Amino acid sequence: MKKNLLIMFLLLIAAAALPFIVSEYGINLAAEICIMAIFAMSLGLIMGYAGMVSLGHAAFFGIGSYTVTILGSHLSNFYLLILGSIVLSGLVALITGAIFIRTSKFYFLMITLAFGQLLFALTWQLKDLTGGADGMKISSTMNLGFGDIVSPLGIYFVMAGAAILVYIFLRFFVHSPAGKIIKGVMENESRMKALGYDPRIYKLLAYSVSGALAGFSGSLYGYFNLFISPDLTNWMFSGQVMIMVIIGGVGTLIGPAIGAGLFIFLQNFISTYTERWPLIMGLLLVILVIVGKGGIIHWFDLLRSKIFYRRSQKRMEYAQNHAQKEEVTN
Amino acid sequence: MSIFSIQLLTGLAYGMLYFMIAAGLMIILGVMNIVNLAHGTLFLISSYIAFTFISQNVGFWAALLLAMAGTAILGIIIERLLIKRVYGKELEQVLLTFGLTYIIADTAKWIWGTEMHTIAVPALLDSSITMGSMVFPIYRLFVVLVGCGLALLLWYFESRTRIGAIIRAGVDDRDMVSALGINVGLVFTGVFAFGAALAGLSGVLGGPLIGIYTGMDSEILVTSLIVVVIGGLGSWKGSFIGAILIGLIETFGKVWFPSLSMLIVFLLMVVVLIIRPQGLFGREVA
Repeated sequence: MKKNLLIMFLLLIAAAALPFIVSEYGINLAAEICIMAIFAMSLGLIMGYAGMVSLGHAAFFGIGSYTVTILGSHLSNFYLLILGSIVLSGLVALITGAIFIRTSKFYFLMITLAFGQLLFALTWQLKDLTGGADGMKISSTMNLGFGDIVSPLGIYFVMAGAAILVYIFLRFFVHSPAGKIIKGVMENESRMKALGYDPRIYKLLAYSVSGALAGFSGSLYGYFNLFISPDLTNWMFSGQVMIMVIIGGVGTLIGPAIGAGLFIFLQNFISTYTERWPLIMGLLLVILVIVGKGGIIHWFDLLRSKIFYRRSQKRMEYAQNHAQKEEVTN
Repeated sequence: MSIFSIQLLTGLAYGMLYFMIAAGLMIILGVMNIVNLAHGTLFLISSYIAFTFISQNVGFWAALLLAMAGTAILGIIIERLLIKRVYGKELEQVLLTFGLTYIIADTAKWIWGTEMHTIAVPALLDSSITMGSMVFPIYRLFVVLVGCGLALLLWYFESRTRIGAIIRAGVDDRDMVSALGINVGLVFTGVFAFGAALAGLSGVLGGPLIGIYTGMDSEILVTSLIVVVIGGLGSWKGSFIGAILIGLIETFGKVWFPSLSMLIVFLLMVVVLIIRPQGLFGREVA
């Protein structure tokens, strides 16, 4: 716990110091990373703590961003808009989740994918509401109660603050009694059932929280990008978030956020040199799957355990040698 | 009335295309426990291969065979080289096939560009039958016939041959099959190649109907996933009926409720899931 606090403290300092190190382009990139980190953490919650692999999470992201944009033309209160998109995406997750979680693993994956594509098709087809393929411009500006925030630096600080808040919230959630039951259901569903918990309720809880957070990140993205299009709900985007979660490490909270950082950085970096980013991303993903052992977070663990393993091995060798010597002297 | 029957024929033709691709997806999922997200991309690449051969003046039928063989070989390479390494690891399989969709689709974009291509209807079938006031394009009738023929063939293989028995057993209990001394690795490769070839068949036959364009792979993948969910695992019958249902709903939906056809398809899936979570004809498998 003490170590975690230290890591959090370091992250906070890094987040605060970052704008003084990088250029304006870098600040924009960092803001985008913070948004995607929230999105990835929300998916990481159900993947790593509830064992639910969803390929339709972009649906909630899209709901969040479209809510802010569509309601934003009638309403300008930042808090109300954000709250509205969180509640709406959470509700949609609750309703759809109640149907989806009845199914086993592969079906869940396929159905969430189909659901994401349904929203994708709807955003295309409901032109009057969503602007169709042309997308929409967001009309309201970010205002936390002390003036409009329009500078990249201001936007970055809001996004970073949101990401940290979500991280802290998820920490509490995961360590709460409900969070522990959710993890228990993932590890051994029948045992939790025998203990008197209804697995479905806890799975649904995790799914709804995750959907609401994804909607939150989507609404922030609306404010960040000022333009939204149906692509935000496409299943390829859902897949990309899944990649972020995997790169960073499933089963941890901070892993997906790190994965999001690396992914967005690579995407921007490589896209400036070549148009073939999708091809390169596919290749990287395949290589990661074939040779990789978990995500970045797990590599750190692996490295640590290797070092410790060597140390303990040396100790064992030492003990053995000593034992032999003792035998000789005897 | 005449429009209705033509729509019916179109819906059936689309349904048959969906059946061909969903059957492959279903059997790969049923036997190997892999959701092959690259299945739509195999469909796409097959159309492109056929398109290229046809534009080099190879005939439609030769191009069909070449494209199917090409997709099957690609399937074998993917299975032997990559998927084999992640058997039994669900998440890795999903990611691997997802990565493959990016690789294949982006390579296709690189080679063939983003403009839409079409495959011309083969000369032999490029006419129509007139019945009273109704005009039926022969090519659509042909696609329906091929689909029905394939369904019969698959049904025969499934219930009357040794290979079919092995595959059925594989869906029910993979470990037992390997314990009986059957080379499961070979079965897996065969199933994957066969599924890929079916996607290839569907891709080429779909060329004159749907055309070839970037992004088509996602659409076809989602549709066939829905077919599999509706039809259930472990039976061709489910995929057949599910695919026809979706084909008809999509075609008529586009006419009657243009902006909601996808929603109707999705709602059908939800209803099936609520009533029969294992699919219409699915056996209860883990």
